[in-house]
Amino acid sequence: MLRRPDLLTLYAILFVLFLYGPVLLMPLFSLNDSTFATFPLKGLTFRHYADMAQNAPMMAALRNSLVIASVVTLASTALAIPAALALTRFRLPGAAPIVSFMMLPLVIPSIVIAVALLVVILKFLGLALSLWTVAAGHVLICLPFCLTVLMSRLEGFDPSLEEASNDLGCTPWQTFRRLTLPLAMPGVISSLLLGFIISFDEFVIAFFLTGTENTLPVYLFSQLRFPNKLPGTLALGSLILVGSAVLVILAEVIRKRGVQSDNAGDI
Amino acid sequence: MQRIKFIDRMAQGKLSRRQMMQSAGAFGVGALILPPRARAAEVLTCLEWGGYDDATYFQAYVDKHGSAPNFSIFAGEEDALAKVLAGFAADVMHPCNYSVGRFVSAGVAEPLDTARLSHWNDIFPALQVAEGVLENGDIVMAPADWGNSSIAYRPDLVDEAFKADPSWSIFFDEAYKGRVSMLDNELVIIIGEMVAGKSYDDVYDMSGEALAAAAKEWGTKGLDMSRFLWTDASELQQGLASGEIVAAYAWNDLIKNLRADGVAVEYARPKEGFFTWFCGLTLLNTGKADKALAYDFIDAWLSPETGKALIEDSGYGHANQKSFEIADPAEVAAMGITDPEAMMASSIVFRNPTDAVQEEQNKVWGDLKALKY
Amino acid sequence: MTIAVTDPAGAPRRVARGDPSLRARRIAGFGLLSPALGLMVAMLALPIGALVLLSFWTQDGFAIDRTLTLANYARLVAWSDEATVWFGIPFHLAYPVPAILMIKSLVMSLVATVAVIALAFPMACFMAFRVTRHKALWIIVLTIPFWTSYLLRVFSWKIVLGFNGAINSGLIALGVIDKPLEFLLYNPSAVVLTLAHSWVAFAVLPIYVSLEKIDRSLLEAAADLGDSRWQRFRRIILPLAAPGTIAAALLVFIPTVGDYVTPALVGGPGGTMIGSLVQQLFLKQNDAPLGAAVSIAMMAIIALLVVIFLWAIGYGRMRERRR
Repeated sequence: MLRRPDLLTLYAILFVLFLYGPVLLMPLFSLNDSTFATFPLKGLTFRHYADMAQNAPMMAALRNSLVIASVVTLASTALAIPAALALTRFRLPGAAPIVSFMMLPLVIPSIVIAVALLVVILKFLGLALSLWTVAAGHVLICLPFCLTVLMSRLEGFDPSLEEASNDLGCTPWQTFRRLTLPLAMPGVISSLLLGFIISFDEFVIAFFLTGTENTLPVYLFSQLRFPNKLPGTLALGSLILVGSAVLVILAEVIRKRGVQSDNAGDI
Repeated sequence: MQRIKFIDRMAQGKLSRRQMMQSAGAFGVGALILPPRARAAEVLTCLEWGGYDDATYFQAYVDKHGSAPNFSIFAGEEDALAKVLAGFAADVMHPCNYSVGRFVSAGVAEPLDTARLSHWNDIFPALQVAEGVLENGDIVMAPADWGNSSIAYRPDLVDEAFKADPSWSIFFDEAYKGRVSMLDNELVIIIGEMVAGKSYDDVYDMSGEALAAAAKEWGTKGLDMSRFLWTDASELQQGLASGEIVAAYAWNDLIKNLRADGVAVEYARPKEGFFTWFCGLTLLNTGKADKALAYDFIDAWLSPETGKALIEDSGYGHANQKSFEIADPAEVAAMGITDPEAMMASSIVFRNPTDAVQEEQNKVWGDLKALKY
Repeated sequence: MTIAVTDPAGAPRRVARGDPSLRARRIAGFGLLSPALGLMVAMLALPIGALVLLSFWTQDGFAIDRTLTLANYARLVAWSDEATVWFGIPFHLAYPVPAILMIKSLVMSLVATVAVIALAFPMACFMAFRVTRHKALWIIVLTIPFWTSYLLRVFSWKIVLGFNGAINSGLIALGVIDKPLEFLLYNPSAVVLTLAHSWVAFAVLPIYVSLEKIDRSLLEAAADLGDSRWQRFRRIILPLAAPGTIAAALLVFIPTVGDYVTPALVGGPGGTMIGSLVQQLFLKQNDAPLGAAVSIAMMAIIALLVVIFLWAIGYGRMRERRR
């Protein structure tokens, strides 16, 4: 049924153009010899990249954001997998209100969550602010997203598969690892990626819950006051874009090469 | 790279348990690299605008103590105040003359002992006693950086009548609809009243009926004429550079930046007057570090060397008179300042209405914007 | 505001009530749920409790008057004989701003959500039915633009739509127009476009995930029985993808109602939303209790709308059928 060169493929190409079109202007203007990102282009320069490389606080902020986003997405997904399993497989009494409660962070304006968490952390718990407090706040707002994605993946699987697995003498852990987890994998990947981009991009909670170290969005917002720094931030954006694209391609190449040897340890 | 490879292979179901554990271990190491909880209190903690956390601006402190203080950066004073009020232990904050009053009213500002600041006597006398520095007989802020607020315009894109007799009325003029940009601030209403012929001193603390009437007349008009209300200088600079807007409320660093990029731009001296703002360092009583450290940091900010760096890097002025003597004269001239003292005397220094009035003005302005669609 | 309702009553019971194995399963289920739930209770209970309490207090200068009162809520609905007209609608309220902003935000968010789903659904179909290898690669490709930081993406849109931006410069170079079009930026459609771009990946992923598990043999069987493509789409794909699509729509709709940064950046002078009001009340206007009341009212309205929406489309029945 999927033979004809079709509208859907054409659409996918347009869609990718829509996604990438605007962001590809970043590399363009990061190489433009002007502080201002307007046409016509003025000429080629690498000075914005030199500015960026010398901007130690920005690079530190980038590193902080990468670490936080990785930790947050792993933690949120790790918490969301068992929760999603419980909510879709175990027919728990009161599941509906529980799910509603867990979706609450979506509805509360981020400024409210941020200020409230700040007061709780500083006044009630007496903890010092650090990147850890930001990570904790981010886990809270990432959980609903991770949970939704995982639940929509886990719902509607034939439970008889798992029952069969149990009947065949697998321990629940074996069933999970050999059956449920592989089945849930597209959801797990989506959850990991969603969690990463939410945390990586979040500003309000990060601002209030960070101590003396910054995440990238906090740093970038503070730089808006200094228009001359703008091309440097565009250079950074371009580098992230190009860097991640190169990583994806590399990973793909390595994966293809490693296909043979990997087979031995298949799940 | 490891991460993407990991995800990709997980997706393909080609990851052995051992590999997964190894990768998980790597992530664990990543987590350990995360710095531990903020160290205990002795290090000075400053709430600072992003960009001002550069050692150029407090070199004397670094020279004396060997390292920079900790910074928590912010993008707006209200955010910073909210953070302090929630219990964030900062020692020094960098507010401006129009916002320091809120720190005082909130009870987090501590009076400064100017005898502990070696550069205090070199501060422009006008700034030493300006509203915002001196509150109820206490020095609550050591003025550091200052600048102007006036109209920046593209001489090639505005008409001759404006150039001959510049006026804030351009922001309320139907002929410039969609081609000007005001700051996103209740000041629009005040400036409107000034266009109507009132003096700043009479209208800066308008409230109640008078404010509502002024908002209805000038606020609405200012809102309708602006292409956008700017909140960050980057947006404004882009707009003027592209010609999207031809005139805007602007700070004087913008002139320097745009000219450096070859954009023709002028800074008007409108007939209703132009403004001076200044910012500075305020000692907070929430801090945990030794007060001596805070004084050293503030004093470093007041030094002429810091002033020179500020003038030459950013195009803002500095509160220390001596910094104008040692700064590159070309840079000083490029700021449009030949005689700082005379300039300060001829401009309108922003004043602080009471908290209640400030909040009311902000609410009126916010409500006005809300009703626009 | 239930995004996914599990409905035990709808499922056939395989075990009798009081069955020890059922109890064991429940205990196991709650065991699995407890880390996530525990964390959320720990982190949300105090803040939400504080928020609710705050909304019954009043601000007095920098101090808070802790007498319990409904004054903040009363202010939101206080009647006024004089109507404030907004968009031709008379609002008979003494303080009409929150109500107007709420409606404005809901409409903006609704339009953006519809746009996001319309854009995302075909893409998710493509990923589920056309892409046969490297699916993970495709997912990552979709998310790469979102690793570049939100502010920079909004800024990119300004370059695209701006006065000397990509569209205007392109059209001028082609001789289509001789003066830049000004209606591209700083208006509601720019907000919708930017929001759609920001959120579309959040919608593609859940929809894709639910399409991915549709049994291909169903589609083949339908094709064998002579169903056209359109019939297969309407009778099989659409009903089975509905729960994921609805979840995606809610994931986009709910947070965008409270978003205030995007409208402020590309919306021009009219870019104030309900989220901006909450932020202003908490920070500039120094009236956190009223801000708390506005937040709670906003949350309640969103929750109500979501419940009505789910009820209207018969979400519960739909999920039942799928079991």
